[in-house]
Amino acid sequence: MVANIIFGIGITALAGALATVAGSSEDTESNIGSQGDPNSQVQLAPQMGFLHRIFNKAVAGEPPAYGLWCCLGAGLAWAFMAMQINPVLAIVLGSVLATFVQGVYATTAYVGRTASLAKFGQPVYVDILKSMTSVTMAHAFIAIFCTVTLCHLINTALGHPFPLPLLGLIWGIALGAAGSATGNPYYGKERQYQNQKFGAGVPISASGNIVRYAEAGERNSLDNGFFTHKIGGSASGICFGLIVFLELWRTILFEQVGAGWGAIIVGVLIILIFTVIDRYIEVWARKNYGPYTEVKEVSS
Amino acid sequence: MSVKVEVIEGGVPHNNILAAGLVSTLVCLYLTYLNVLTSTQMFSFFGGLAVVAALVWGSHTIKVLCSYGIGTGVPSAGMIAFGSGVIAMLLATKFGMLAPVVALVLAVVIGLILGYVSNNILNMKIPAMVQALTEMAVVGALSLMGFAALMTGSFTFAGLTNGSTSVMGMILANHEMSFMVGGLAVAFLLGALAIQHPFNATLGPGWKQDRMLMLAAECGFLSMVVAAIMSFALISTGSALISLIIAIIGWAYTYQQYMELSKRDAAAWLNAKPIPDVEGH
Repeated sequence: MVANIIFGIGITALAGALATVAGSSEDTESNIGSQGDPNSQVQLAPQMGFLHRIFNKAVAGEPPAYGLWCCLGAGLAWAFMAMQINPVLAIVLGSVLATFVQGVYATTAYVGRTASLAKFGQPVYVDILKSMTSVTMAHAFIAIFCTVTLCHLINTALGHPFPLPLLGLIWGIALGAAGSATGNPYYGKERQYQNQKFGAGVPISASGNIVRYAEAGERNSLDNGFFTHKIGGSASGICFGLIVFLELWRTILFEQVGAGWGAIIVGVLIILIFTVIDRYIEVWARKNYGPYTEVKEVSS
Repeated sequence: MSVKVEVIEGGVPHNNILAAGLVSTLVCLYLTYLNVLTSTQMFSFFGGLAVVAALVWGSHTIKVLCSYGIGTGVPSAGMIAFGSGVIAMLLATKFGMLAPVVALVLAVVIGLILGYVSNNILNMKIPAMVQALTEMAVVGALSLMGFAALMTGSFTFAGLTNGSTSVMGMILANHEMSFMVGGLAVAFLLGALAIQHPFNATLGPGWKQDRMLMLAAECGFLSMVVAAIMSFALISTGSALISLIIAIIGWAYTYQQYMELSKRDAAAWLNAKPIPDVEGH
């Protein structure tokens, strides 16, 4: 019994670590591709006359997109394991094929969106297509591989009843949601508008006027990935890592309490604790940063 | 608010695409029944072709619907297509050989109900809504059935829930190795992303019908490639290989054609050049 719990906690820690890497990699991948919420400004910029060399990989929102990549990776791994292939090799092969699908979707999205903006003179940059797609594929592979591996751990080591592809779908969507909610604002609200006052939001007059030039030369999406990985990527990694870790931790430790109700009650408690922490951080940040207080002083 | 932002100018009218898509999907699905008649699994690839036909039709339906400001992103349309289609598809598999037709009828009913709810109860009042949701439910149901036929060689409930594993040369029955356990979730998302991607990736002032439909076929064949790889676990190696080769040829051709069409429509096709000068900026 105790040995089981210790084994479970070990798996939980390993899954949490994998999830942290996956979250960090996922956010960097989506930022290099301008996927999710920052995409609207990248799409809008040429229409406002701001031509750019930013990669515009609009496949879908991150949750459905990562739902597919991870589900596909898990499904292929499941099929390879059914063919009696070693799980490690099966997961790697499944992730490689899922990454291939991701890369194809990325190229068709960039080329298609840009070709539809021909009226505004936005050219298709073949060098952007080549260099950015390969980098996003590399990051996507890490994210997919880590997620499928943690699903495999949950399935085989912890004995979760769901089949591997379904776990891939669920955790893939969770991964996309974590990256989309945590890391994306840092790119969409901060990096794209570094030329605006901090915390000012995006005034309508500045719509589409995203940062397009670097210290030297013109900026491309690799610079954006480099910039956002430091804080946005790490925050997404911690977010997804905590989600996976706490979810498994409460299940392993409290599932036996009260015929399963123990795990549910602990889950609700965790949500309440995080709500309090989030509210405290938000109020603290508003007090210490941004123009909120200045505006009050002017009006009073 | 439902303001139509774009109109379809020129190109093939939607009703023609609808008719062609529906007929070719049903014909391809029924051609997989040759598997039963000839006791092989060689004709499974027709399931994949049914998926391609259905996706081409469905992507144009999404174009018709999303030309109105529906207030959500394009990807949500793909999700509702397959979300409503999966109910019809699962129920229809119980009807044996009639499954594709039953799936069609059930999906029409489900789509009509969803369309009525969104237009009259949620008051969205979008003219194309009822027809589009109905079409998308049908596309979702038939594509899932196509994926099922491609991966297992069959679209009946028994064929989709029974699986087998070979252990040391012996074939053992194993329900863990069936389409319902491993394939359905993958087929759902493969289809849901493939149906929304063509319009989502080509929308904008320079939208062209032929480019979008070529991308739809490309997405269909790409999904068929990976589904065919998964089918190695569920059907005989030779049959899976036939599906895979057909899928790869179809994908390579449509991808190359799509790139040509994009090159035709793009403002410029530059390699490592600076941002062009625009007047006033």
